[in-house]
Amino acid sequence: MDGDPKLARLLEHPALWRGRSAARLAVLPSGFTALDELLPGRGWPHSGLIEILTARFGSGELYLLLPLLAAVTRAVGARWCVWVAPPLMPFAPALAAAGVALDRVAVVGGARPLWAFEQVLRSGACDVALAWARAPKARELRRLQLAAERGRTLGVLFRPRSAARQASPAVLRLGLAPCAAGVRVTLLKGRSAARGTIELTWPHERPARPRG
Amino acid sequence: MAPLPLPAGIEPEDREPSRAAPAPRVVPRTAARARAAPTPAEAAAELWAGMQLPGIAPAGALQRLARSALQYTPRVSLEPPDGLLLEVQGSLHLFAGVAGLRRVLAQECRRLGVTPVLAFAPTPLAALALARAGKTHAVLDAAQLVGQLATLPLATLRWPEEVLGRLARSGVRTIGAALRLPRGGFARRFGTAQLATLDALTGRTRDLRTALRARVRFRRRRELLCELESHQAILATLAPLMAELGAFLMQRQCGLLELECRLEHRHAPPTCCVLRLAAPLADARRLATLLGERLSALSLAEPVRGCELRTAALVPQRTDSLELWQPGEHGGALSSEASGLIERLRARLGEEAIHGLMLLEGHRPEKAWGKTAPPAGSGSGPAPHRSTSRCSPPVSRRPLWLLPAPRPLTVRDGLPRRRGPLRLGGEPERIETGWWDGEEIARDYYTATDSHGVLLWVFRERQAPHGWYLHGVFG
Repeated sequence: MDGDPKLARLLEHPALWRGRSAARLAVLPSGFTALDELLPGRGWPHSGLIEILTARFGSGELYLLLPLLAAVTRAVGARWCVWVAPPLMPFAPALAAAGVALDRVAVVGGARPLWAFEQVLRSGACDVALAWARAPKARELRRLQLAAERGRTLGVLFRPRSAARQASPAVLRLGLAPCAAGVRVTLLKGRSAARGTIELTWPHERPARPRG
Repeated sequence: MAPLPLPAGIEPEDREPSRAAPAPRVVPRTAARARAAPTPAEAAAELWAGMQLPGIAPAGALQRLARSALQYTPRVSLEPPDGLLLEVQGSLHLFAGVAGLRRVLAQECRRLGVTPVLAFAPTPLAALALARAGKTHAVLDAAQLVGQLATLPLATLRWPEEVLGRLARSGVRTIGAALRLPRGGFARRFGTAQLATLDALTGRTRDLRTALRARVRFRRRRELLCELESHQAILATLAPLMAELGAFLMQRQCGLLELECRLEHRHAPPTCCVLRLAAPLADARRLATLLGERLSALSLAEPVRGCELRTAALVPQRTDSLELWQPGEHGGALSSEASGLIERLRARLGEEAIHGLMLLEGHRPEKAWGKTAPPAGSGSGPAPHRSTSRCSPPVSRRPLWLLPAPRPLTVRDGLPRRRGPLRLGGEPERIETGWWDGEEIARDYYTATDSHGVLLWVFRERQAPHGWYLHGVFG
């Protein structure tokens, strides 16, 4: 079957994804070698909705994304990086110190976060959009995923760990839990057959956890 | 007719050749004179479209037509009761030349139920005269102007009947014949005003026209036939007003930054809904979408009986070139997406819906950052990496999240607690500053881990009672 050139050409199409194959996905390097190994296509997807599930706010989910945010905002012709309804205010000096270009960062406030998130994803004005949502419905998630594809934006949705049991149209779902020297990342869903858990150690930018 | 005697003060070279001279010879001479006129370059650079509108209803229709003609050129001049002049030299390449302009202008007229006669000439009067004579010529070259005008009847100049009668009795019935008369005698016998008209006609003197000035604000009201409550229905009634607004903006090449929509009720004071935009906008459809967003968030005290649209002062619209690349491709700009997003968010969530972040110089964490206007559409290029300047704190010691205000922590045995005891780590960082503005702080900052492994930024007041506070989360 693979010998048919027509079929081979069809399978080359970027919108077509085959479950078992190592189909080429457009990815952005995560900045952590071990994480790249775990992620399908060896990096964060270029567009689409991904979910990061944590038991507690502040488990290291933002540090996991910092290298990505820094690389994306500092690229030539970078679009925006939008934070939709963050639970606290992102601290600009720490972002700047991590290499994030602040002139690409915008914060969208308060009411109706899911509507705002969908608008942001759909607009095509952003490279990355981060959002925090407590209990989005499956239909809303589907809309978000479509909006992210349409706007060619990577949408990152932070959800509580308990959401792992619900189905989701996200292209990638990661579970996060803090551990001794860093964070434990579990791949819950991805466009590859591989599943697994890795432990990441933070580079020196994040203070080490106190011991004892 | 005997040649007229030359009056004093008229230069001999001003004398026209005898009227027996054949027409073709007249054309180059007159053209040569036109070049010698005071503003030859400017005069030559103009092209006027003259419109003769037979049977147009009084002033109102002509005004309306003139206003809609403003979308083709900024220089429109009224020639009541039935003429309209447009200077179109600059617009030719935008509307596919003379033929294209002819088509769009005829379309405008048809919308008002008039069939125009359209002529083009380098001077306004010539264009008008051609149109009045029913000729649809396009005289693009000043050198050919006089030749084309020569055969037109003098009546097209709309001189007083008495003057025309006297000229006719002298055997002068066409413009060409009048041009061949000696200037001095002509001025004396038929009036200087008529000579001035002839000069303006041939481009010898510049014909300065009063341009139609467009109104700078839009204000339209509409009474409703019945009282409306549903937002959809109100939006539908606003649609014609929005279409009018779109045409209004297009004619002026302007966008607006502020649109006010007033909804009138039977008893209650009118509900005002003001739309503020991030960038000048002229697209009626996008305006309608935004207004719809805004209206749907509005709660109405009573059913609506009338609505009114008003604009603040207009802003000249700068049309940007289209990008070759799609947004996001190869660094294609996306200011339109970005400003569209800002407007949608603001329309639904309020003015404060979106903001940017910036750094401020200061050691106090609360004063080390600030809110700014949302960033511009697209990055200018790779930003220089912000090296740790002398003011910046050590990188590792700042959390990614800051609480809006420090939150007090409970203390047991002198140690802070938050859902269980906190483990403090490392050496404290002392921040003691701000004595000059009364918001002095004196704190020892620690990193701390709670029982779930979440890394926190806490501090202890240096002053009594030495309270513990949570100030940030590392994320």
